[in-house]
Amino acid sequence: MEDSVSRMRSGSLVHCGSGLRNMAARIIARCVRSLNHRAVCFNSINTAATLTAAPLTHGRTFSQLTNGHKSPLAQISGSSFQVFQWRQYGDLPPLTLETIHDRVLYVLKLYDKITPEKLQATSHFMKDLGLDSLDQVEIIMAMEDEFGFEIPDADAEKLMTPQEIVQYIADKKDVYE
Amino acid sequence: MAVSRLPPAALSLKQFLQRQKVLGVYRDLLRSIRKIPIESDRRYLRDWAREEFKRNKSETDQDVIRMMITQAHNHLEDLRRSLALAGC
Repeated sequence: MEDSVSRMRSGSLVHCGSGLRNMAARIIARCVRSLNHRAVCFNSINTAATLTAAPLTHGRTFSQLTNGHKSPLAQISGSSFQVFQWRQYGDLPPLTLETIHDRVLYVLKLYDKITPEKLQATSHFMKDLGLDSLDQVEIIMAMEDEFGFEIPDADAEKLMTPQEIVQYIADKKDVYE
Repeated sequence: MAVSRLPPAALSLKQFLQRQKVLGVYRDLLRSIRKIPIESDRRYLRDWAREEFKRNKSETDQDVIRMMITQAHNHLEDLRRSLALAGC
């Protein structure tokens, strides 16, 4: 087992060099894109000259780092023409009613006191599924964990069906359709 | 003769308030348990809390319920203090 681990380690070291090259290429691409973005903002006339000039200069200065690795640079100059909207924020993908619905039902199916076959969007926790108020508190806690925001007590005790939960989350997260 | 419009299983105001207190302390307990870093401890305490509350679910004497709510609050304070000391 030891020599397979050492073989893996030596193999990863060999790939490390190309990994560094790819990383450097990605950094170049990011600089180029930000430069293009700023250039597009300031220049109203989007000439091909400004676009080609930027990647080439960056490419030449960084070419020593990349050891003359041609293909990522060619990719950069090709992709720089397309990337004009560059989201600068880090955030989760936007929610839709359908994804909320799927996630809520998924969490409910994982709950051990609910049989997945009987579960529907309109099944009442207490009347249809035979749960009690303590279980309902646990379910709402699980929803808080899943969606990452706190549900206050006053609202939590009113949510009695999966459909109500979906509606509440959509209200709180401003999801319209 | 006053005919009561409430269903037979309706709680009195005091009972209703007590029920809300019980659910509130259960929720606070679960929220504090969520902050525990070690997964196995978290699971153990969650099962313990669930067991404790389920076991006494059928209690009807208001004084006994009040005593149990106080006990739950004490457990909650202990947990919060331990978490604060541990730095979570």
